[in-house]
Amino acid sequence: MAQGTDVMVLDDEPIVGERLRPALEKEGHTVEVFTDSEQAIDRLKQKRFGVLVTDMKMRGPSGMDVLRFVREQAPGTQVIVITGYATIETSHEANAWGAYRFVAKPFKLKELVKLVEQAAKLASA
Amino acid sequence: MGSATSRRADKNPTRGAHEPGDPNLAERLRKAEAALVGRPRLSMRLRLVVSLALCFILSCAFSLGAFSLLRTAKAKLLLLQTLERLDDRMLRVRALADEGTLAAADVDKVVESLGQAEPLLRSDGDALEANDRDAAPALLVQLGTCRRLLSALRRGAGGGVAGLPTEQAAELRRAEAEGGRLLEAVIRHERVSLDTTVRLAEAGPLVLLGLQLLLFAGIVVAFAKALVEPIRRFGEYTARIAAGDYSFIAPARGYRDEFSDLALAVNTMLGELQAQQDRLVKGAKLAAVGTLTSGIAHELNNPLNNVAITAETLMEELRTLSDDEKWRLLQDIYFENERASEIVRSLLDFTRQEKSEAGAVDLAEVIGSTLRLAQNEMNLNNVSFSCELPPDLPRVRGTANQLRQVLLNVLLNAIQAMPRGGRVWVSAGTPEAGRVCVEVRDEGEGIPPEVLPRIFDPFFTTKEPGRGTGLGLSVSLAIVRTFGGDLQVTSEAGKGTTVHACLPRAEER
Repeated sequence: MAQGTDVMVLDDEPIVGERLRPALEKEGHTVEVFTDSEQAIDRLKQKRFGVLVTDMKMRGPSGMDVLRFVREQAPGTQVIVITGYATIETSHEANAWGAYRFVAKPFKLKELVKLVEQAAKLASA
Repeated sequence: MGSATSRRADKNPTRGAHEPGDPNLAERLRKAEAALVGRPRLSMRLRLVVSLALCFILSCAFSLGAFSLLRTAKAKLLLLQTLERLDDRMLRVRALADEGTLAAADVDKVVESLGQAEPLLRSDGDALEANDRDAAPALLVQLGTCRRLLSALRRGAGGGVAGLPTEQAAELRRAEAEGGRLLEAVIRHERVSLDTTVRLAEAGPLVLLGLQLLLFAGIVVAFAKALVEPIRRFGEYTARIAAGDYSFIAPARGYRDEFSDLALAVNTMLGELQAQQDRLVKGAKLAAVGTLTSGIAHELNNPLNNVAITAETLMEELRTLSDDEKWRLLQDIYFENERASEIVRSLLDFTRQEKSEAGAVDLAEVIGSTLRLAQNEMNLNNVSFSCELPPDLPRVRGTANQLRQVLLNVLLNAIQAMPRGGRVWVSAGTPEAGRVCVEVRDEGEGIPPEVLPRIFDPFFTTKEPGRGTGLGLSVSLAIVRTFGGDLQVTSEAGKGTTVHACLPRAEER
């Protein structure tokens, strides 16, 4: 098994973090879960994560804001954007800002874990 | 079998789309018509004909009366002339006889006058007054005696009463005196009577003129009232319709006439207007739902995603998880499913058709459910809201769904006025007795003063094509006015917009 990566999960839906955490930890990753994007940004300032999984629409700074912040402050971090309302515009915008993947809800846990694996490889490469 | 079922299933939505929103509309129109028609008919035309006929009959009666008076006067005049001539000649004969110079010609004249007077006195006495009619036989007897004796005198061709035997001369004198007395009494009576008749004939036309004037005045006043009053009422109806109150015209009088036909036609038009408005309201409602789509999709996808990943976790870890953990996961699935159902339910509540007849609506419930419906749209747009409602908010007149539609339109406008997010304040109160007002205030871009007067115009929109139909506010205003309320918008460019929706309090049961 590949060595674990530091993964941050950010979604204002607490269940997303609760389910992703054990699934990712099982793969050997270290996981930090946030439901508030401002706290998440504060944490990103302190620590470098290999992979960031973030929701798009949230109260306060949106997933896109977090993505921009990461691109500017931590270019090595791979970002997977998940959203409940996927539009071509938001998908293009996310790609333009260099998101690794754009995932629409509802997603499969396994697929997301696989994506995190791939992103982690890219991040560590 | 399968195709038949699906065809039947297809039928309802299509029919729903073509029928007016209110299934009771046709029934209410029918009732309004029945109330208008179910009165005795008293048409304008009938009243006109009857009035003119009355005038004509009255004129005829007066003309006949005047004609008859004239005839009576004429007969009396003839009678008086004849009797006076007789009286005159008899006096003359008596005077001549006393002088002893009575000529045969004088006697002939008296006899001739007697011949003329007798038939007038004898004939049914048309021209005679009642008391004279009683005196007539006695007079006729005396006159008959005079004639007989005078004829005898004439035959004797003597030069005076002396030509008669003494006995007869005395009888003639007696008859003459008695006859003359009776005759003069009759003449006196008849003169008075003729006078009265002439005076009556004089006054008649004046009285007739007066009466006709009164009658005409009465007719004119009645017709003016019958015309002006309904026209004034119809003026009120049009003002009410223009203000958006499409309720049917109810009978205002106990009978029906040509104006009732007009009322029937107006009611038919109102029915059509109501159906049109129902269609418009429904269209605007669907447009509002369309605006909500992104929010609803997001709102539904979140619980669906939670259910999916939780179920996936359960399946994957079925053997390793403790019972407590499994229970917690199942609970998550259960509540997330509830959450999704709630969203679908509130959407269905909103789009469901309901009777448009106004009832007493709990405004707090309407505000709460609409805020829930718009909640996610607000979340998506970084809009937060605060809601302050007094605990004892009175019920208002309206229908819950249509009021939700109004509030949703106002909320969506507020959200769209704050593209970078912001805050919406919702509050309610009773600023004046009998009215309950909801205030929705945002801190958005505001509405430029030149645009403000047009915001209620149908199809007027400042949003980019495809983002707004321009029906939201016009339909909202129409809905609020249907219930006797009003919608007011005040705005300051750059500071925000405040919308007041005021509705009349529902009557307490």
